[in-house]
Amino acid sequence: MTDASTLEPLSFSLNGRPVTVDVDPRETLFDTLRERLRQTGTKGACLEGECGSCTVLLDGEPVTSCLVMALQVAGREVVTIEGIAESSQLSALQAAFVRAGAVQCGYCTPGLIVSATALLKKNPRPSEDEVRRGLAGNLCRCTGYNKIVDAVLDASREGEELSETGTAGARA
Amino acid sequence: MSGAQQHNIGRSVVRPDVRDKVTGATRFGGDLCGPEVLSASVVRAAHAHAKVIRVDFSKAKAIDGVIAVLGRDDIKGTNRHGLIKRDHPVFCDERVRYRGDAIAVVIATTPEAAKLGRDAVEVEYEALPVIATMADAQADGAERIHEFGNVLATQLIRKGDAAKALGESDVVVTRTFAMGGVDHAFLDLEAGYAEMDGDVVTIHASGQWVHEERRLIALALGLPVERVRIVQPPTGGAFGGREDISIQIYLGLAALTLGKPVRMQYTREESMVARHKRHPMEIEYTLGATRDGTLTAAKVIIRSDEGAYASTGPAVLRKAVSHCTGPYRVPHVEADGVALFTNNCPTGAMRGFGACQLAIAYEGAVLAVARELGMDVVELKKKNLVRDGDSITTGQVIPVASAIDCLDAALDRFHWNARRKDHPAPHLRRGYGVSTICFGLGYGDGYPDASRARVRFAEDNVLEVYSGGVDVGQGLHSLLAQIAGEEFGIDASRVRVIASDTALTPESGSSSATRQTLFSGNAVKLAAGEVHRQVMDAAAVMLGLHWEDLAIKGDRIVGIHHENVATPLAFVLSGARARGFTLDSTAVYKPRTVAPTDQSGRSPRAFLTYMFGSHAAEVIVDIETGEVRVERIVAAHDVGKAINPREVEGQIEGGVAQGLGMALMEEVVTRQGRILNASFTDYIIPTILDVPRIEAVIVERADLEGPHGARGVGEPPLIGAVPAILAAISDAIGHPVEQTPATAERVWKIIHQDNAEHLT
Ligand code: FES
Ligand code: FES
Repeated sequence: MTDASTLEPLSFSLNGRPVTVDVDPRETLFDTLRERLRQTGTKGACLEGECGSCTVLLDGEPVTSCLVMALQVAGREVVTIEGIAESSQLSALQAAFVRAGAVQCGYCTPGLIVSATALLKKNPRPSEDEVRRGLAGNLCRCTGYNKIVDAVLDASREGEELSETGTAGARA
Repeated sequence: MSGAQQHNIGRSVVRPDVRDKVTGATRFGGDLCGPEVLSASVVRAAHAHAKVIRVDFSKAKAIDGVIAVLGRDDIKGTNRHGLIKRDHPVFCDERVRYRGDAIAVVIATTPEAAKLGRDAVEVEYEALPVIATMADAQADGAERIHEFGNVLATQLIRKGDAAKALGESDVVVTRTFAMGGVDHAFLDLEAGYAEMDGDVVTIHASGQWVHEERRLIALALGLPVERVRIVQPPTGGAFGGREDISIQIYLGLAALTLGKPVRMQYTREESMVARHKRHPMEIEYTLGATRDGTLTAAKVIIRSDEGAYASTGPAVLRKAVSHCTGPYRVPHVEADGVALFTNNCPTGAMRGFGACQLAIAYEGAVLAVARELGMDVVELKKKNLVRDGDSITTGQVIPVASAIDCLDAALDRFHWNARRKDHPAPHLRRGYGVSTICFGLGYGDGYPDASRARVRFAEDNVLEVYSGGVDVGQGLHSLLAQIAGEEFGIDASRVRVIASDTALTPESGSSSATRQTLFSGNAVKLAAGEVHRQVMDAAAVMLGLHWEDLAIKGDRIVGIHHENVATPLAFVLSGARARGFTLDSTAVYKPRTVAPTDQSGRSPRAFLTYMFGSHAAEVIVDIETGEVRVERIVAAHDVGKAINPREVEGQIEGGVAQGLGMALMEEVVTRQGRILNASFTDYIIPTILDVPRIEAVIVERADLEGPHGARGVGEPPLIGAVPAILAAISDAIGHPVEQTPATAERVWKIIHQDNAEHLT
């Protein structure tokens, strides 16, 4: 990207693993992830904070990585779509996206899954309205959003069932 | 799979591509890379209309990291591309005609250096008058954008005597409609990768018709088609926006000239400035009726802003004219369309082209007639909608005309008769609208339209489908697996699809015109049927029975009358191969349509088949601000047979959302040939907060042509949504709404145009 001389080392946690990479102080986290670390699951449809397709978690908070400077994440925890699946298993939310037909072209999907993961973490039983407000920063051009809302609600209900079984099991 | 027979058709199977899409593993065009890959960036015109006096690459070439600057002198073939007329220069020669016109492409070691190089290319222009509007294009003495003038095409329909019939009608309304340009706004920006594989230029980039793109690229590069290979990566939406050539020739030229891998990606701004748009149109619509509400005649005048190059313009204009009265019986019709060049961004294919602009006009005119007659619009519709065996304006008889079925289905689900009439607040007005539309599938009009498909059992006994048809996110490949598997009772998930690679797959036409389910679906069904016969033939030889006495059941071939005969299918496949039997077939589906006559513009079979749809919408309008909220939309479409119902719903929901965008917010704003809102900050598409819950209603009256009775579904959901929403706004505010998008500002102006007497 630029002369090696102008690069600065950056260390942070990426999907639970420590990484150190030389970056241009002017580059965004989005570029670092995709261009330097070749983690291409994070997408970019606008690069100006409008579409949400580049969403990643920074210390657990969803951020649009195209607006975050790489050096801002020094020492912090970044989780991308590549870090959402639990080992080779899909997360409950990912599985719900598959089941619901919430994916057409799939370009918006990584950003939506990351945003919705953060949403469910904060609010495990969201109403439809809360789901919509929580995902208002993520554009999708294909689906009309119906099935995306369904998938998130479905995953939240599943979380409920799981925790209920968990409690019941503990009681027994 | 257990021994039970699997049925694929009508089952919401999970698409095989989806798993990688939820984990981020899918690699779209912009995700492709390789060692020592070069980057490319395109120099665009600085004027909307100008003579090019001098181009100088020397400063650009001197920039650190710049490897080459390629322009028109480096084009060894034809310096033109274009789907219908080859009029779009790869690199401009003597003249630029819009601000997306390309001058050169800069290749460098990094994307940053490529951009610096791009900005360092010097071009000297002599400005020409900008033809900014259709009126400019038609003005006396207007500057000619192309040598032959500013008219790209004209189209007409003559049926009966419209002038006389209008003169004799009890009521006649004349309304003027205008639709703004719309951007496809697919999220996956134009991006790709090219490299040399021996002497073959291999281009990984997303289009909508790999074989036609290969032909155009080969023509430009001056290569035989065998030396160009297109491999389509997973594609993040298209909606017509990938029909024209975008990055492919630049990539191919760079890889070919430099012998090195190259990649490139547009920014959102470049994508919006360079790529064609939906046609802005102006339509003057005169519609007559008798006192009892029988439509008598229509006179329709259409002007279509073509922008700088033809693209699919002639087909769009023809589609507009042939759909000018939609699903209505109108005995006398006179329609005239003209497509005019301007120095705006070229306009071309977008979901529902031509038909969607006209649906706004005919539905608006029908609403105006209903108002004039004081008649309920649903009643007026039912009186005039085509029924089975009626013909529409082109003269084509429609055997399955399900407009009324769709209308009833939509109104039923909506509980139309129980709709609330109250307003939520004094400044919030509730309104309802309903639309009925029709749409001809495939290219039609006598254009040779065909899909080819190959089906075979591979050496590992897996059923394979080979199709050139591209999946742009709509799920085509999964659908083809369902259709192929169905012939053998093999679950779709066990069918392997090899697709959209010109080196491996047959030509299957474009993913456009709502044609792939119908065309490639039929081609796959034909080929799979033949392979089924090949398998049964081999089984019969091996088992010593007649093939008609055998059937595939689960994983086995069994005797119909001989209960003790049961052999694993895999055993038969291996045995067949050992005996030299073929388990491989390629089929062509190529039905005939008929070109319209020059005099009447009519045709007994303009399209292979038509599909119908009806939407009901509820909106709330804030009369103080003009803001519109869509509260609810029911969308009913007769898809013939939903091969994958969940995916059909997805297409309907997505189409409705795009229709909502076109109806309320999306407009490419252009001044003097410059797009003023070429970003997602300024060009607004619907968010999850704008789109209400969409209720998709699947109507299934089997099609006579389609595989398993299926028609397709891609475009009609968008077409139906726009007029339903406009009618609902009009109901809420008591004034017609005849311009898209109906932005808050425009709606406010309509409300306040005459002191809002209707609102008191
Ligand atoms: S790419 Fe970051 S918000 Fe669009
Ligand atoms: S599925 Fe295509 S953008 Fe959302």
